[in-house]
Amino acid sequence: MTSPIRNTIRELRAARSMTQQGLADLIHVTRQTVIAIEGDKYSPSLEVAFRIARVFDVPLERIFQYVPPRPRGK
Amino acid sequence: MSRLTFQERMLWAQLAAILAVGVYYVHFLAHAGPGHHYFHAVILAVLLVFGSISFAARHRTGAVVEDERDRSIAAIGTRWSNIILWVGLVLIMVLYWDHGSIHSAHLVIGLIFHLLLLAGIARIVRELVAYRINA
Repeated sequence: MTSPIRNTIRELRAARSMTQQGLADLIHVTRQTVIAIEGDKYSPSLEVAFRIARVFDVPLERIFQYVPPRPRGK
Repeated sequence: MSRLTFQERMLWAQLAAILAVGVYYVHFLAHAGPGHHYFHAVILAVLLVFGSISFAARHRTGAVVEDERDRSIAAIGTRWSNIILWVGLVLIMVLYWDHGSIHSAHLVIGLIFHLLLLAGIARIVRELVAYRINA
């Protein structure tokens, strides 16, 4: 199941040549959680989201975007 | 398929321990009746060994081994386990009080024991599934 929250973490991380483990250590989560967030399989808490924004030094909305799910039958 | 995480390895260990206790119970104690068994000692030993290994492993690695996603998955597993426990306990009470079909305390304890095993297995399997789905 994918989350309605999309993110640009993978691109931001690649631009800084940062590994998933490196990011995980900086935001105090496991590498598997970073993998799940990047794959839109898990939406992080606000606290973790802000930690990510601080690591990349960009506003939160540049990292996370809400994509509303399509209404059924349309 | 990604590597197993620390939490998943712990869950597989728990599942193996629960199944070992269940198999031991079925093979050696199911028909033994009440008496002086070492079953309690076996359960306590398994719990102690598992707890020690888990504690040591958590503190040996410097990396984060549990985070909010692990806690969220644990909550999902616990919810399933609670549902099974509640339904099972209500069924046992209905059998005991309404129909009077349970006459022996030994049978009640056996049913509760199996219910605990089932709830434990359901929790672990649900958490393992959640880890794989969200891997």
